[in-house]
Amino acid sequence: MKRITLSLVSALALTAAAPALAQTINIGHLADYSGGTSDVGQPYGQGVADTIAWINANGGVNGKKINSDFNEYGYQVPRALAAFKKWVGTDKVVAIQGWGTADTEALVGMVTKEEIPYFSASYSASLTDPKGKVNAKSERAAPFNFFYGPSYSDAARAMVQWAADDWKKKGKPGKPKWVHMGANHPYPNSPKEAAAEYAKELGFEVLDPITFALTPGDYTPQCLTLKQSGANYAYLGNTAGSNISVLKACKTAGVDVQFLGNVWGMDENAMKAAGDAANGVVFPVRTAVTWNGTAPGLAAAKEISKISDPSGTAYRPVHYLAAICTALYMKEAMEWADKNGGVSGVKIRDGMYQKKDWVPKGMEGVCNPSTWTAADHRPTTRVDLYRAVVSGATDAPVADLVKSGAIKLDKVATIDLPRKTELQGW
Amino acid sequence: MQSQLLLQLIINGLIIGTLYGVVGMCFVLIYKASQVVNFAQGEFLLIGAWVCWWLLTAWNIPFFWGFLIAICFMMVFGIAVQMIVLRPLIGEPIISVIMVTIGLSIFFQALMKWMFGTFAQPFPPIFPVAKVDVLGLQVQTAYLMSTGVSLAIMAGFAWFFKYSRLGLAMRATAFSQQVAQSLGISVRQVFALSWGISAAVSAVAGVVVGIVNGVSSALSYFGIKVFPAVILGGLDSVFGAVVGGLIMGLLENLAQYFDSQFLKWGNLYEIVPFYALIIILMIKPYGLFGTRDIERV
Amino acid sequence: MATDTMRPCGDYRSSYRSDQTIFATRLTMLFCVGAIVLLCFAPFFFSRYVLSLMIQIGYLGIAALGLNILVGFSGQISIGHAVFFGFGGFASAYLADKGVPVPIAIVLAGLWTTVVGLIFGLPAARVKGLYLAIATLAAQFILQDFFVRAEWFTGGTHGAIAAPFTLFGLDLSGDDKYFYVVLFFVVVMYLGAANLMRSRDGRALIAVRDHYLSAEMMGVNLTKYRTMAFGISSFYAGIGGALYAHYVGFMSVEGLDILFSIQFLGMIIIGGLGSIMGTLMGTIFMVLLPEATGWLASALSGSAIDKALHLKDGITYMREMLIGATIILFLIFEPDGLAHRWRQIKAYWKLFPFSY
Repeated sequence: MKRITLSLVSALALTAAAPALAQTINIGHLADYSGGTSDVGQPYGQGVADTIAWINANGGVNGKKINSDFNEYGYQVPRALAAFKKWVGTDKVVAIQGWGTADTEALVGMVTKEEIPYFSASYSASLTDPKGKVNAKSERAAPFNFFYGPSYSDAARAMVQWAADDWKKKGKPGKPKWVHMGANHPYPNSPKEAAAEYAKELGFEVLDPITFALTPGDYTPQCLTLKQSGANYAYLGNTAGSNISVLKACKTAGVDVQFLGNVWGMDENAMKAAGDAANGVVFPVRTAVTWNGTAPGLAAAKEISKISDPSGTAYRPVHYLAAICTALYMKEAMEWADKNGGVSGVKIRDGMYQKKDWVPKGMEGVCNPSTWTAADHRPTTRVDLYRAVVSGATDAPVADLVKSGAIKLDKVATIDLPRKTELQGW
Repeated sequence: MQSQLLLQLIINGLIIGTLYGVVGMCFVLIYKASQVVNFAQGEFLLIGAWVCWWLLTAWNIPFFWGFLIAICFMMVFGIAVQMIVLRPLIGEPIISVIMVTIGLSIFFQALMKWMFGTFAQPFPPIFPVAKVDVLGLQVQTAYLMSTGVSLAIMAGFAWFFKYSRLGLAMRATAFSQQVAQSLGISVRQVFALSWGISAAVSAVAGVVVGIVNGVSSALSYFGIKVFPAVILGGLDSVFGAVVGGLIMGLLENLAQYFDSQFLKWGNLYEIVPFYALIIILMIKPYGLFGTRDIERV
Repeated sequence: MATDTMRPCGDYRSSYRSDQTIFATRLTMLFCVGAIVLLCFAPFFFSRYVLSLMIQIGYLGIAALGLNILVGFSGQISIGHAVFFGFGGFASAYLADKGVPVPIAIVLAGLWTTVVGLIFGLPAARVKGLYLAIATLAAQFILQDFFVRAEWFTGGTHGAIAAPFTLFGLDLSGDDKYFYVVLFFVVVMYLGAANLMRSRDGRALIAVRDHYLSAEMMGVNLTKYRTMAFGISSFYAGIGGALYAHYVGFMSVEGLDILFSIQFLGMIIIGGLGSIMGTLMGTIFMVLLPEATGWLASALSGSAIDKALHLKDGITYMREMLIGATIILFLIFEPDGLAHRWRQIKAYWKLFPFSY
């Protein structure tokens, strides 16, 4: 039985390994549509898939089509591993559009060894140090990991900065209190230390972190603790699903705190689900505008959206736009590689270093200018902070709510952090 | 200030505890009747919540009727699941049946994500007043409703099992299937009925959690959270499940209090139920109210 | 149960020793040896993808065998196997980081996990049945929490980097070379388990599972054997985890959740409780199921059926549903697992055209 399975498997693998035509570029695409992060994974994955299809429909990469192998891995690392092995062994991919912390972290070593650029949706600061050990706190070299947007740590630092300015603006006396709330897991903990250090530097009193799980539940005890601790600014480290529970519980408990989120912690769908409990939450947005803003680049984005929504009426959350930018950066790096020695993993990586303050063609006003260098994989240290404004009931589709203005995203600040090497990698 | 916080946490613990107790009761019901550990209990909550949400938003039915229809649907659904999937497995090793319930949970999770999407959806506003003050703690009206409904259900179960013929038949089947059969009780009907009731009552809990937190696929984690409560109380004691649920709710909240005030470990809220579980199992291996397995040679 | 094979007429045994061989007949043994020899040639024929699947089957199979010893052979349920797997991985990464050569680190990690397993096994003596299952569930959550907190051991939220496998200076970390490492461990561990089951201790475990009162009356120390079962199962889990850690090069607490423990349970239940060969078959089933449904899904997407039913995204969900449905249907039709079905097929073949 074992041997029959093996020979079947090998036969299928051999037939699947059709010789890659010189006219197609193979990439892998990992997405989570059914696992624990599917609520944010689905719009992001859709964005990447639509962008690839749009690229192919509009000339490809210098005429070559991108052949993307879509793999929905349900946030289970063994499946991501198997997919990676298949891409490296059989399909000979030259780049991978990845997803979350679990798969990105597991594959860092392997993508470095195989020299395949990995574009993740995990913005962990530990992925921003290509050479490793750039300072005492940076743990690991990740020369082939890229992401578009500020890292979790930089976004948290920016919010600390904003909180400090906000405190001063309100003219409140004394030291403001900062608290980190999140699950005790790699993804929420990613920026905890960085934010705490920066907060102390800026004169905050950093309180003990409050833990709440990544699944929705009753978080009244945490809210009561929060209320009793007198915190002024609370950073929510989890994804939207559990943040909603905390926001609602804290609103019921009457907690008066300014909540701050991470890029996955709040979006238009979460605002709809949480209702007016989400009102006032400040969080970073990776793109310069949201879906109903105005920018020349949004025309192209709406074209891309039509790939999976021919009617053109779907409202795309912030994650969709970020995905478009990530995929387009990869495409332009491939274009450079094609003209400079062939589309290979190493050349694509070099292609990412070619431009300064780079905005993909056609996405002006949407994707923020980003710069990657061989020593610094932080694309930007500028963070756009938005505030979620919810007024009224939210039991209509998101598109209608945005149109009626019941849900709004207002830009509150753009924080420019200094690009110090002491702050890289952690 | 401290004692105020403690009081509020105790009240919250009791309220959440009744919710855990309700889900625990459903779990124990299935175990008592058919000796099956139902890993798909969380999915029953989830399906009940989604069905109720769908009735309220797509058909604009008033909450009371939508709720009732959802409960009736879940009853039929539970009976259907038992008849289609579990009846062929009567008599098979129990661990295979447990694996089948795990397979069911995978299946329904994916089905719900497909039918209703991956985003959390809020319930339309149901109560005229969103929160109520209970002894200084602001409590969501939904939780108060759930406490009321839970107590009613517990009372209903108690009456059902003690005084009604059907309840007596279920207890007889749980005690000894063969003797019950020889007395003319249809064991298959009892099994089906127990699954149906369990699914229907789970729907109540699901709707409550959905009202408070929004309906999303992570609701099914409640099913796993309930395990310690059920074991605490004893796997085959409905009363034990209630007590276990209350203890769990209280423990979680008290742990949060002690953790935030004194210990500062950060994670006690999630972990304490499990530590308590192990300690209680060392002292009373069958839980607080479980019947001791009397070994006959 | 595992020794219930059909032997041809005239194959009689005249000593206890010859009756207790690991392989029932010479032919079975030759088949097994032949299979292992054929597998040694595998890296030359199969792609890296297939090799990586086989490596995955290898280390998951070792851990699953440990669970089968616990659940199938000694009758105690554990829903916390994933954390023992993870502990082995972290221990091995930690030891390798401290300078211990990787092959020794793997074995030491297994032993270290055994100690941890024994600690959790001690309450097992008092607690029976499903209560034990939930106690192991508690162990799962407690150890998971420990992993995230113990930065010195696991690297906390950053995870631990596991050194590549080097033997006498030879780097064996590529897929084709690591395959041999895993094959070696699989052969050794599986032979070890088969040997255990034919020894006195193995018989004692089975006695404890089948009727512990009678076993106790015959002088089998229940506590000793129940705890020992936990220890052995943790050893296997630790070795499996260590092999995984050095394969990926990185060990993190993400992914060591209850779903993973449940997958191990699935492997042994579908493979057949109390059957060593069944464990391997069950592992193959569980590893290949998502891959097979993935092939189906990608074959289906974009095809005529997809367009006709407007499936598109739904294919992803259908794939998950198919995994759940396959498990359910398989267990409805064969609750005793793949090993039992294989024995039925062999019996049918041997006895054709008679039915018994």
